[in-house]
Amino acid sequence: MDATLTTRLVFIMKRLYLSFSLVLMLACGANTPESNTQQVVKNAPDAASQAALPQISDDLVANIMQSIPSPIETSFLIKGIGAPYNVSNLNDHNLVTNYNTNYSQALNLGVYSTDLGFANLYDKNQDVLNYLNAVKKLADNLGIGQYFDYKTIKELASSSGNVEQLLQLTQQNLEKIHNHLNEQKRESLTILILTGGWVEALYLTTLVNQKANNKELRDRIGEQKIALEQILTILDVYKTKPNFATLIADLKELNKIYSKVQIKTTVGKPTQKVVNGEIITEDNTVSTIIIDDADVQAITSMVKSIRNKIIKS
Amino acid sequence: MRNALTKTAALLPFLFFSIGVFAQCDAEGYSQKALKALQQGYTFVKSYKVDGKNGVRKNIEYTCVFSKDTNYMLRIEGKDGGAKGIVATLLDNQRQELTTNNLNGKSYPGWTYRCRSTGIYYILFSFKESESYCGAAVLGFKR
Repeated sequence: MDATLTTRLVFIMKRLYLSFSLVLMLACGANTPESNTQQVVKNAPDAASQAALPQISDDLVANIMQSIPSPIETSFLIKGIGAPYNVSNLNDHNLVTNYNTNYSQALNLGVYSTDLGFANLYDKNQDVLNYLNAVKKLADNLGIGQYFDYKTIKELASSSGNVEQLLQLTQQNLEKIHNHLNEQKRESLTILILTGGWVEALYLTTLVNQKANNKELRDRIGEQKIALEQILTILDVYKTKPNFATLIADLKELNKIYSKVQIKTTVGKPTQKVVNGEIITEDNTVSTIIIDDADVQAITSMVKSIRNKIIKS
Repeated sequence: MRNALTKTAALLPFLFFSIGVFAQCDAEGYSQKALKALQQGYTFVKSYKVDGKNGVRKNIEYTCVFSKDTNYMLRIEGKDGGAKGIVATLLDNQRQELTTNNLNGKSYPGWTYRCRSTGIYYILFSFKESESYCGAAVLGFKR
């Protein structure tokens, strides 16, 4: 084969490859606008694997997981009503060595992350360091410790007055952990971390409410109906994984109680204004949480039981 | 011929890599920038990647749960500079528009939403006269 023919062949193959790559990229990209808004069923899995595969798309799973509210909002509410800090309400950081499976490590990473945020918010430096160590240990065990900037957080926690920076960095690090787990297709661990964090925040809210009997706390307890439904939707995707069935069953029991809670909405048009170059929109739709004492009590009791199982797992 | 095929095969990863580089969007960098623009008193809660894949992806939507009696602030930063080219629209669970950073044809760095109704909301990112289709946004809250 002469040199000219070889050069032409190489040229043609390059062009073919480029065209193929471009078509492939465009085809993949073209699916994405819809994939965030629709429940996309995975393409024709074979019969044997169908039972094991999630029936909703990875994008949708990631989107729902991303929407689960951060426990830090609840921690702010608890502090905002003037509740005192009580470390004995939080999970004992010394229990960290008891968590030996990926399941218990991920759930308790969530629990300790909420506790870390709580201690951060109250500027309790020694507790921050203790919970930071617990979080670091579990993150290392799960192979995601490198995404947690332990050194900087430790430095910030070593002196007072860094609450805002600590909260921000902790939140960012947790988000990184979630993103990397999702990229590594380990979303089942992400949902466990989120569930653990959510259960701990709800547990702390119910605990404080038992003493304070505060309307804002009761409303927040009732509002968790929405987050619980999202969590159950995602957990159900991984129901065949070890230990998930028990957790799902427990949360479904909790959901039964939540079915009595109502969120009523009176719709109003939002009003918008520009103040100092900032768009400020006032929501005129108002929601009311309808939850009675018996429901609050039942939720309090059930959450305590679920949380105990998690921290003893 | 075999030599030519070997050379071509060796080139393939580089070609693929070159195409990939053009498509990349450093959302994390813009997220850091947006974070700095979050007003004092607001606590960071989530960040959102806004990667339009060079214009192939027209809309990027995220679901979120907002709590009543809480103020939420969104800040956007993109490759075109500030919020330029990126439109962030907040929709309620009926997909009715509540607010946007593109008001009367003018682009703002974000928006503040005073929520009085707990529920599911959607943040829809789209592009308007964007050159890069790349950026990020962060959400902060204040009670």
